[in-house]
Amino acid sequence: MLRRARYELAGRAAFPILTALEAWQHRLKRSRKQPGGGPFGPPLESVRRLKELMAHHYFQGRYADGAVPVAWVTSGFPVEVLRALGFHTVYPENHAALCGVQRLTPEYSDVAEAAGYSRDLCSYVRTDLGSVLSSKTPVGRLPRPQLLACCTNICQTVLYWYRELSRHLGVPLVLVDTPFVHGTASAHQLAYVKEQLEELCLVAGRVSGKPLDAERLVEVTRTAREGSRLWGECLAASRARPAPWTGIDGFFHIAPIVALRGTEACNGYYRLLRDELEDRVARGVGGLKEEKHRLLWDNLPVWFAVRRFSTLLAERGFNFVSTSYTDAWAEAGVGIDPDDPIGSAARTYTHVILNQDLPNRLDILRRLSRDYAVDGAILHSDRSCKPYSIGQVDLRERLAAELGIRVLLLEADHNDPRSWAAEPGENRLAAFMEGFE
Amino acid sequence: MRNQEIRTQRERHGRQAVAVLPIHYPKELLTALDLLAVELWGPPGPPRGDDAGRVQSYVCSVVRNALAFLAGGHADSVDGVLFPHTCDSIQQLATLATDLGGWTKPAFTFLHPRGADRPSARRFVEAELRRLAGTLEAFSGHALTEERLAAALALHREVDAARGALLDARARLPLDDTQLYALLRRGEWRWPADHLVELEAALATLAPEPVQRGVPVLVTGYVPEPAALLATLNGAGGYVAADDYAAVGRRVVRATPTPAADPWRALVDRYFAAPPCPTRGADTGVRMAHLAALAERSGARGVLVHVLKFCEPELFDVPAVKQAFASRGLPVLVLEGELEGALSGQAVTRLEAFGELLQGAPGAA
Amino acid sequence: MKAPARGAVTGVAIGVDVGSTSCKAVLVDGAGRIVGRRLEPAHPRVEEQTGRLVAALVAEAGVEVPVGATGYGRKRVAAARVLTEITCHARGAHALHGGGGLLVDMGGQDTKVIAIGPAGDVTDFAMNDKCAAGTGRFLEVILARLQVPLDEVAGYAARAGAPVTVSSTCTVFAESEVISLVAEGRPAEGIVRGLHLALASRVAALARGRPGTGPVLLSGGVALNAAMVTALAEALGRPVRVLPEPQLVGALGAALSVLERIP
Repeated sequence: MLRRARYELAGRAAFPILTALEAWQHRLKRSRKQPGGGPFGPPLESVRRLKELMAHHYFQGRYADGAVPVAWVTSGFPVEVLRALGFHTVYPENHAALCGVQRLTPEYSDVAEAAGYSRDLCSYVRTDLGSVLSSKTPVGRLPRPQLLACCTNICQTVLYWYRELSRHLGVPLVLVDTPFVHGTASAHQLAYVKEQLEELCLVAGRVSGKPLDAERLVEVTRTAREGSRLWGECLAASRARPAPWTGIDGFFHIAPIVALRGTEACNGYYRLLRDELEDRVARGVGGLKEEKHRLLWDNLPVWFAVRRFSTLLAERGFNFVSTSYTDAWAEAGVGIDPDDPIGSAARTYTHVILNQDLPNRLDILRRLSRDYAVDGAILHSDRSCKPYSIGQVDLRERLAAELGIRVLLLEADHNDPRSWAAEPGENRLAAFMEGFE
Repeated sequence: MRNQEIRTQRERHGRQAVAVLPIHYPKELLTALDLLAVELWGPPGPPRGDDAGRVQSYVCSVVRNALAFLAGGHADSVDGVLFPHTCDSIQQLATLATDLGGWTKPAFTFLHPRGADRPSARRFVEAELRRLAGTLEAFSGHALTEERLAAALALHREVDAARGALLDARARLPLDDTQLYALLRRGEWRWPADHLVELEAALATLAPEPVQRGVPVLVTGYVPEPAALLATLNGAGGYVAADDYAAVGRRVVRATPTPAADPWRALVDRYFAAPPCPTRGADTGVRMAHLAALAERSGARGVLVHVLKFCEPELFDVPAVKQAFASRGLPVLVLEGELEGALSGQAVTRLEAFGELLQGAPGAA
Repeated sequence: MKAPARGAVTGVAIGVDVGSTSCKAVLVDGAGRIVGRRLEPAHPRVEEQTGRLVAALVAEAGVEVPVGATGYGRKRVAAARVLTEITCHARGAHALHGGGGLLVDMGGQDTKVIAIGPAGDVTDFAMNDKCAAGTGRFLEVILARLQVPLDEVAGYAARAGAPVTVSSTCTVFAESEVISLVAEGRPAEGIVRGLHLALASRVAALARGRPGTGPVLLSGGVALNAAMVTALAEALGRPVRVLPEPQLVGALGAALSVLERIP
């Protein structure tokens, strides 16, 4: 009872908490205070609210265990069921990205490597397992889970990752396995996923100590769909010229749709953000002071160099106006249907970008390129993400040939700076930009 | 040799050939439809040709080499390719080669469910097997009758029984590891009935008493490639007494006492009776118990974990394997390599040092 | 199977350690002490070079003695016994230290962490991966880039205030990282110190999870670099004991191993 009250209190109180989020914003602000004000437009007002929202989420997490059921969840997991059961959800990917931004990956990865995990494994995994094994985290503390919830629609890696978490933490793992889609999903594929979702309702219900309330699931599904729609509207604001914010802003603003999908807090935030973006569009205010070139980004961000990249690009008038990564959460989530929460979730969560074949991926990149009128693209060839990266050599050629745009394949890693050759890498980026002039 | 087999099977029996990517697939279906499976585990060496650069260098050599091989026209003697849903990389290879260029002949996929043997997974596997069978029927021009399927199941049960018997009686088999694995790996491309004949011939040579004098070692990993690894292990005084290679031991399904009468049911049962494999999302505890039992039965005194660089499913289990055997006092050597033609000097040193460690050198002969 | 206790050392023997960067040969007396030594940069013609070194030591001994060989080129040496450098380093370190323990050998081409049992036997070992990360060669390349002479490295590191973080331990990446650090005007002293710490943490990662208390033993050419010794002790959180004549430990082990085989 007391714990529950403390959890609620932690959630409601508005504390000026030092979180990683603040660090991102601090850095961004600093870069905007360069002589002459730097290349960026005025900062977004909503950012303060985002900071509060995420700080609140992580802060509340500190008091979650014992108060509410806690689940650690993959980013592509059909979270609506857990949300309806009142789980506090922690996203290890989101947490790992946070560590990545703060360049904590080498330190945490060393711990994981010493435990026998190869450096060739995904850097999110090494960051997270290192954090778990050493109990270190930049967010104070993460609540221990009663349930690990893993969906293979973003990669098979998450299954191996969560299995190891399950081994280390001694916590049950619930798996939603979504076989890969070539063309369209077969009926038996969807039936299989649907059956697993039904199993999930029972298992998660047992862990939370109460059965799933069907009404509540309908409500959460409606909220989550609305959240994805709102997030899509925020992204779509960048179809305007100049784009009212930068692609890098988008990488950070993705946090609520990943970690708080299906909550009113998430939707409320995106309404605020959308309104601000639309207002900026109306007033002609851009993410950059001067937008000369518009780019598309494919694959995960390079978290440890996000600011560096954005500054390098912004200084020469380049902005990412669209990314396949941030788009994925707008694209998929709108397919869930309150009239059929389980069936529609099976279909929707099976058809996410990384669970589908390359022609589908090429279609998405083509569509984004046209919708956002980009004149170039950077495909991040990510050492740590095979499903997102294999095929990019061909995608690069096809995009360049079909759309007549410049496309750069840039090899890096989403979290581990040790896999990034800064000097030659930045040179390639500079040479790419010179090609536009 | 493979091309010769493909020609022979085509000319004498009118059988078409299907190249198959690693690891697990329902070979019974192919056999039942008179299709020769020719597995594509690489091939060894660096990727060659115009398509060598289409997959990034941080992806395993199986995928890089397979794409270069397929796109380079080196597999043109086969009539189709089957891509099992083994891992993220092979899954991507399937769409890359067939959708964006590299393979234009028929292509098939087989989706594996992950994780535990759940009722939903069983239903999915059966439907997926029937779907694949339907596609292969159209491709082969044969109808898959229950008789055909039952006969193929019986043949593969026999093959597995013979392979299992050879592995179990390893110490009494008068072959060195290079010879043994050459035999076992011929099963990756020979017509199963012909392979069975050579397996049985080898079984007939079993000695009444152990003939292997080296230190018994348990090997787990992906595939015994490069073959020089085995010769080096034997030279260093060890031999493979227990096998958990994905290509070999993990595909030997141990017989169930009374197989189901319905061949589809029996096929699904066989699918789930295979030894635990990380690529199928096996539970770590179950897999470690399986490995421990293998080590115990064979009297292994050391464990060799032979993994392919960048092979995520295998690499994730390494800490658990180390832990499992450390607690049993068995030394573990993790050897990571590519599908090269030869073994690197460093790998040779590690294997030899491991041999010296197992024999308690210095001092021991 | 445990190694038999030593003590069977009766004659003199020669040990040859053919490494990737240097070739070492030692002559030992009946008590296992090094009484003659040769050390040269490694020559591609292993047979010729080792033949010459052995002949010189035979001349010192005045009598033909058995030869034990180890190292990267061990199989090309005319020797009575050939063992890997892992076993030989363990054997040599055991003799010098007078017991078991954890040995780190940092050579030109690779770094090894070897757990040595009380009888001088290897109980476990680990080596760095294929790339040059964590090796003497890595240090050489980067220090040459910084134009820091090898004999002044320790002074550079000692003078440094705060270390400059060097995150790459891949030789190629680190080289470019160092170039940009220099371009940013970071002091060479701080970079040198940061470089050693990065390398030491890589080695420490190999050593972590391996049992043992007391000092970690250090052998190999890199052991002569005082900056590395300091950085390693810091990263391991344990004192580090540099073995006498650290470059010769493998050759010593090879010589001792051949003696033990003679009844």
